Amino acid sequence: MELLSIGFVGNPNCGKTTLFNAYTGANLKVANWPGVTVEKKEGRFRLHDHEYRLVDLPGAYSLTSYTMEEQVTRQYILSDEVDVIIDVADASALERNLYLTLQLIELGKPVILALNMMDIVEKRGMEIDTHRLPEMLGIPVIPVSARRKTGLDILMHAAAHHKDGSAEEMPLIHHHDGAGPQSTRHPHEHHKEFAMVYSDAIEDKIDQVGEQLHKQYPELTNLRWHALKLLENDPEITQAYPIDGGLLDRSYEQEIINEKYDFIKEVVDEVLVNKDKKAAVTDKADQALTHPVWGLPIFLLIMAMVFFLTFTIGDWLKGYFEMGLEFFSGAVLSGLEFLNVAPPLISLLVDGIIAGVGGILTFLPNIVILFLALAFLEDSGYMARVAYVMDGIMGRLGLSGRSFIPMILGFGCTVPAIMASRALENKRDRFKTMLITPFMSCSARLPIYVLFSQLFFGGYAMLAAYSMYVLGLLVAVLVALILHLFDHKKAALSGGSSLLIELPEYKAPSAHTIFIYVWVKVKDYLTKAGTTIFVASIFMWFLLNFGPQGYSEDMAQTFGSKIGQFIVPFFAPIGLGFWQIVVALIAGISAKEVVVSSCAVLFSVSNLTSPAGMSALSGVLASIGFGPLNAYALMTFSLLYVPCAATLATIKKESESWAWTGLTAVFQIGVAWVVTFAVYHIGLLFC
Amino acid sequence: MEKTLQEGSAGQVYRVQGSQLPLALRRRLQALGMTSGCPVLILRKKPRGAMIIKVRGGRFALGRAIASRILVEEA
Repeated sequence: MELLSIGFVGNPNCGKTTLFNAYTGANLKVANWPGVTVEKKEGRFRLHDHEYRLVDLPGAYSLTSYTMEEQVTRQYILSDEVDVIIDVADASALERNLYLTLQLIELGKPVILALNMMDIVEKRGMEIDTHRLPEMLGIPVIPVSARRKTGLDILMHAAAHHKDGSAEEMPLIHHHDGAGPQSTRHPHEHHKEFAMVYSDAIEDKIDQVGEQLHKQYPELTNLRWHALKLLENDPEITQAYPIDGGLLDRSYEQEIINEKYDFIKEVVDEVLVNKDKKAAVTDKADQALTHPVWGLPIFLLIMAMVFFLTFTIGDWLKGYFEMGLEFFSGAVLSGLEFLNVAPPLISLLVDGIIAGVGGILTFLPNIVILFLALAFLEDSGYMARVAYVMDGIMGRLGLSGRSFIPMILGFGCTVPAIMASRALENKRDRFKTMLITPFMSCSARLPIYVLFSQLFFGGYAMLAAYSMYVLGLLVAVLVALILHLFDHKKAALSGGSSLLIELPEYKAPSAHTIFIYVWVKVKDYLTKAGTTIFVASIFMWFLLNFGPQGYSEDMAQTFGSKIGQFIVPFFAPIGLGFWQIVVALIAGISAKEVVVSSCAVLFSVSNLTSPAGMSALSGVLASIGFGPLNAYALMTFSLLYVPCAATLATIKKESESWAWTGLTAVFQIGVAWVVTFAVYHIGLLFC
Repeated sequence: MEKTLQEGSAGQVYRVQGSQLPLALRRRLQALGMTSGCPVLILRKKPRGAMIIKVRGGRFALGRAIASRILVEEA
């Protein structure tokens, strides 16, 4: 069986990921590109005689080497790892999408244009001449709809057949501006060879530079592309292939870009019919969603809805999970007792593993709903509008509206949120965003709020949980503001931060894309429950059942208790001077859910989140003097201190600095302590 | 008459004349199609803040610091 490697390239928001998912389904590998934290997705599948390996490359508008995404994409395409490039273009925004297409064609590898979102094009009453388009571009053009799954097999067939073919096989039937070969004084007639033919002046230059390149680097292939890159003053190519002869008197980039767009305009004018009806829906929706006055309240309302759904529907479903867990735990316990298994081992299995890991699994419904909502916001095209709506407020904090996107994603999971800060070009902005994003309350902290607010705040439980999200946002804003007061003079010198983001057209989110988005997160969550939380639960069980004298029924004699009691003085001033809580918080650095799973082990409450388990826990807590104010202090501290080991690892990777990572961790613990201190002592005034 | 894009008003089309932006940002905008001579439509504008523009069939949100460094003339 033949293996075919296909690279998926396309502008951001062209539906590339939806198309990629249509082929690979949930069966994909997500990793980072070697050396950089830009997400790399890879999937394999079989069709007829071929095995296909699809690689989803980062979205890019062009193939310059200015951003990390573009560099990754370009290097990967140029490597031998790709047999065929599939260029995914949003057919409803053909003009801008074709710019990347022209650059891909110039790279000289087999390219196939997948015209995506053809269903939207038709719905708008537009038509694209799919016979004329390949004639003008010299590459196969396949109309597809990733959402309706049409054209998928044909696209792969085209890839298989086209893998050895370059543009030469395809007839190129076009001329610019109706000019025949007679009107040019350039010695070569390129219109039959290349889709993109430049003006005589540029073509002359390309020939000269190409010849010089051939002289100096005889082994170099695709001279035309390298010559163009040299003429554009591309930093990477200029450094790799310096040429003599003073041919590169200046950058011709402006002309090269302009001529490409001129050609695109010709193509679009020829192949696109009825283009005036475009985008009426998006403009209407934007009337409200980006309204100068109402835009912000609408956004806040949407977020309030998201959390309302997360808590209400999530909690309702959680009830069923708890019943399942209770049944399972009881069955295992009676089964083990029946088999006469040694009590310590039963304790490890039931009180350690099932209580710890199982307790966390019951929060799955809340988390699924939260990620469902975030996926919806991202896939519909609304997220980019939020950047615009929030730009004014973020500007006062010395950040651009774009920094707000990682912050919203932080409600889901801090790790991808920190990775998303990579989209910020300004380094100062990136580091600031990385510093404040962990204060946004991620889904792993949610179990802590749900558990403790239900235990102590009864009818006000949801309000108490909501307040954590607001508090996290306030702390993030305050930290950004303080940093801004210190560095705004320097920031102004470095050019300042300003918003630049594409606002894609609104579309009904694809159910399949959302399903995969959520499934990947659920898988992460389950993996975490099976690994980090599993190990942490076992570890906690050992710490809490063994002491200097070996296995001990008395928890006060165990290692865990000794460690906790040693650190208690640090936590006493903020209302958390209980060794059990201290141990849970320390364990929580591995993953925030561990705070909850540890409580299950610490207070020997097996089904922690069930009504019976909760009343048992509240009894134990009441007996050690842990009241509502302590619970609120615990929630506050959990919200603000180090999110998890994975977050620290991501910060290290992104900042490439251990010092910065360490500083961040110390800073987070410091902020958590100070804010919790304030909350606790203000609370004491009223209690 | 030349002015900056920031001084433009919503609903109007302008023609790009040039920019005084750092090189990397300028090249980014060019790759998005904002080359000199290209028409830009301002769709929406906050009084003292960011704006939404339409360039070559694409919609972009543009911050004040960028918009005030792009020179345009009325088309």
